[in-house]
Amino acid sequence: MRAEDFRRHLDALGADYRACLPAKVAAIRSLWRHSMSGVGAPEGLTELKRELHTLAGSARTFGVADVGELARAAESLLDACCERGTPPDAGSVTELARLIDAIQRSVAGA
Amino acid sequence: MALKNPFIVFEHDIYALTSTGERELRGGETFLAPADIELLVRTDGGSTVAQVAAGMQSVPAPAVREAYARLARAGLVDLASNLRDDSLDFTDFFSDKPRPAPSEQELARVRAEAASGVSSLQAEGFYVRIARCSSKPWPREDGRTPAAIVVEDDPHLGEFLKTYLAFDGFDVRLVANRDQIIEALREPQLPDLVLLDVMLPDIDGFDVLLKMRQHAALKTVPVIMVTSKATREAVLTGLARGADGYLTKPVEPDTLKKAIRAVLGADAGSTKGCVG
Repeated sequence: MRAEDFRRHLDALGADYRACLPAKVAAIRSLWRHSMSGVGAPEGLTELKRELHTLAGSARTFGVADVGELARAAESLLDACCERGTPPDAGSVTELARLIDAIQRSVAGA
Repeated sequence: MALKNPFIVFEHDIYALTSTGERELRGGETFLAPADIELLVRTDGGSTVAQVAAGMQSVPAPAVREAYARLARAGLVDLASNLRDDSLDFTDFFSDKPRPAPSEQELARVRAEAASGVSSLQAEGFYVRIARCSSKPWPREDGRTPAAIVVEDDPHLGEFLKTYLAFDGFDVRLVANRDQIIEALREPQLPDLVLLDVMLPDIDGFDVLLKMRQHAALKTVPVIMVTSKATREAVLTGLARGADGYLTKPVEPDTLKKAIRAVLGADAGSTKGCVG
């Protein structure tokens, strides 16, 4: 593979990633709603944490740093809840909801 | 898995030393002909018969095949696929069976190393445990295309890593879950490098690492953990289980290149501090 083909391939990969971001965020929002409804929790929260973790790592690699940072913050918040072994308290729920909204707004504006 | 007949030798076959062969090679006394000893030395469990024969310029290829058949009958070599441990399943990780814990001495050593590792991760985006860096020269002298396994469940990130490694000359297999990991590790050609994500859908990357380090054929394969978490605990866990390096996400191509070259011993400077 030549250097220019390599760069072109990475550019195309980045564009495809950004095109897929709304679907990724929709999946995160769905997991969040599912978790808050009490159905499937705490499994739902574990899955949500994993999706946020994946988004945090990949978004920053593909140049969507703000989405990555928001996802990282949300993941850290869930990490703290998991370490305590308790569901998120009211303050954490509010903050998580704010972060997920912010991720969605950031993706919409990207 | 059915064993293949090692006495019928094809050019694409890959042979490895049996334990008897290793003892013969390391023993102080041998009755083997010099050409057979050279063949044992060149048998690395990764090169095909044709590649080994190409390196033995004084011995014609048909004679190399005959020698392999002879050494196989003597129990000194066998097809690598026959020698691979087929018990590489990960069932135990999901049972209540306790994992073997590292010794206190090992823990004390990795705790100290973890502190410096985290500093390097935060400053440079990667940390390479140079004490474990490869003792083999890079690129490999047999001329074969190096193989890498990328374990990453995010398809875009996986494709990014795969593309980068392919551009760097690797034959890359991209896998995303437990079954695919096992399938890839059972391929006849051992990987020269594994990039291993930590958080996977159905298995923990650190558990994969531990299992590899307990496996006879895979324990020396260089593994770089690719992680979003550069915490001391994460580095500590990885070091205790035998990681060669760490790479933090976001993955920068230059950082990836430096980490890979250091782990594979491709940079002269990276061999400083290597053990053994």
